[in-house]
Amino acid sequence: MKCLELADVSYRYEGSTEYVLKNISAAFDSGKVYTVVGESGAGKSTLLSLISGLDVCKEGDVYYDGKNLRELDRDDYRAKCVGVIFQGYNLLINSTAVYNITLSMNISESEIMGRRAKKEAAFALLNKVGIDRETADRKILYLSGGEQQRVGIARALSHNPDVIIADEPTGNLDAETESEVLKILTRLAHEDGKCVIIVTHSENVTAIADEIIGIHAGNLIAGEKYRENSAFHGENGHERTKTIRENEQ
Amino acid sequence: MYILTNAMKNLLRNKGRNILIAAVTLVIIVSTVVTLTIGNASSKIIEDTRLRIGSKVNIDVDLAERGRLEKTGGMPEVGIDDFFSYAQSDYLSKSIFSVQLYLYSSTTFAVGDDSKGQSEWESWDGSSKSKAATIMLIGSSDPDILSDFFTGGARGIMPGGRMFGGLNECIISYDLAELNGISVGDMIVTTSIFVEPEQTFELSVVGVYSDKTEAWPGPAYEDANFFLFNRRNEVITSLETVMSRGFETDQGMEMHAEYYLKNPDNISKFEAEVRAKGLHPDYSVSINQEELDEITAPLSGMAGITSTFMFIILILGGIVLILLSFIAVRERKYEVGVLRAMGMEKAKVAAGILAEAIIISVICLFIGLGIGSAAAQPIADSILSGQVEIAAEETKAKSEDLKFLVMNGKTQFIAGLHGYTPISEIQVELDAKTIAQISMIALALAALSGVIGIAVITKYEPLKILRERN
Repeated sequence: MKCLELADVSYRYEGSTEYVLKNISAAFDSGKVYTVVGESGAGKSTLLSLISGLDVCKEGDVYYDGKNLRELDRDDYRAKCVGVIFQGYNLLINSTAVYNITLSMNISESEIMGRRAKKEAAFALLNKVGIDRETADRKILYLSGGEQQRVGIARALSHNPDVIIADEPTGNLDAETESEVLKILTRLAHEDGKCVIIVTHSENVTAIADEIIGIHAGNLIAGEKYRENSAFHGENGHERTKTIRENEQ
Repeated sequence: MYILTNAMKNLLRNKGRNILIAAVTLVIIVSTVVTLTIGNASSKIIEDTRLRIGSKVNIDVDLAERGRLEKTGGMPEVGIDDFFSYAQSDYLSKSIFSVQLYLYSSTTFAVGDDSKGQSEWESWDGSSKSKAATIMLIGSSDPDILSDFFTGGARGIMPGGRMFGGLNECIISYDLAELNGISVGDMIVTTSIFVEPEQTFELSVVGVYSDKTEAWPGPAYEDANFFLFNRRNEVITSLETVMSRGFETDQGMEMHAEYYLKNPDNISKFEAEVRAKGLHPDYSVSINQEELDEITAPLSGMAGITSTFMFIILILGGIVLILLSFIAVRERKYEVGVLRAMGMEKAKVAAGILAEAIIISVICLFIGLGIGSAAAQPIADSILSGQVEIAAEETKAKSEDLKFLVMNGKTQFIAGLHGYTPISEIQVELDAKTIAQISMIALALAALSGVIGIAVITKYEPLKILRERN
């Protein structure tokens, strides 16, 4: 079932004439794992920002469940419909891991009622991604990068969203944990019917994908074609992004 | 609900920053409590004093105006009927009259009269009255205003007697009673002098009073043994008793009238009314503004100091608080970005920041009320003592300026503050009005602090914040 759709989406930074994404059209179904691949600076993270409702495309539209995102309350959309796993974690560093999860539940007006029940659910969620109770009660500030990433994943799952968006979710994890996280994400898609979209450079992650979406210089390329064309690899995309941002200033 | 919980947790998470904000808020609130408590107490006392003293009307001869117009000759007289006529005004809350006249009696000796009745007085018709004692009769319209007789006063009705009430009842001093062997229930028979026609007063003594007041108006009277002015010779009765005799003129009588306005602000309206009733332009009609100012000068000075201090504290404290709030929210930009990325609405983030500011303000309010109310009294005493000294110096300088107060064409000297002294003590305490005002200020501080936060967070989009950090 179609869950998310991009229709001729283009994006450029404010004041810039150069497009980061150009006429992207794609559809994402529930129950599938998608990986978005491409060189650094190709526009992958921008695409995730548009899908997650953190930004608005300049041209074209993003549809969630058939509804145009422009017409939806984007705060509500972020709080209830999508779960985002950020590359830089973006957690409340002075709060405990478990508080980060329960706060997310509160913001999304979780169906779990009561403070204690929410806390127990948060512990269970954290345990699922390999964080024990003792670690869960520590402030984010005192957790390792890998632990923080797991907390980020748990937070994205905390409000049981239809769409899970992950930006390099296993970048800071060891092979064993990476495997566990990928299992979780796969299970969420295949068993719980979630739409999982992962931006990654990792071959291991790409390997679990039901569909691969390649982005090169702001254009969408079919995943298999992207893989086959070695010319797309190794290009310094971040330099390109940097140039665009400099131009806009 | 979770916004409030989150706000409380945030306060504990960022102790250093919040303690700094709380310290500034506490200083502002304590200062406000002290200044408002003192200011409100001062204002209340000043207003009470204004209504008590400032409502009393003075009808004086305007000597300055007479001098300017180079007027000579006698003062224009105000008749007894005029005094009563002025009292018929809707602007007045009450009017009090007393009339004083002199009596002689062939059977009653005056205290201090060493001649024991050998003095001679000339009556209004020119005939001499020999072997007569001289007694002063005071008729008052209101026994309650005889303040000397109040509890703790210098005069007191002795056991077995009572205050005069009915017609032809009087009270006399113990000294006068002792000298003449008069007891409660006895009659004294006296005759008026200086007034026409001569009238006889047969008065029933219903009370004898002890008297600790000064017997003589001054040393000169005592040295000359001018016993006419000896207060022990006063026979006090009702105004009705005196006026019932139907004197044809008011010569020989001294009339004293006191008018009290319902509202001192109506002085000009009352003046217009008495002018319309014929009060001569040489008379000025005024309330005791000068005296009022002198009495309340220490409090006014103190209120001025505290108001200025509060104003400065509020301005400076407000600026510091704005800066601290601005810095605090900028420090928390990342936190705001995360919350927004998680889907928390701007309004809820703002509500959280506002809740934090309110919690700090409420805690500071309670602590500030405690500290401020404890500190207010000693601070008030300290400031007031300084102001009293200043006022005392000013009063001393002014007390040498004697005023002429003219009553019924006769003059008497009245110096200084008519017996009032500048207020030198103040009891300050927190009242509901002050607490309400301080609570409003605390809320305003919280709002000020919160609005800064709201203004800052509204400016940023979550993606921009997170992108900048990453």
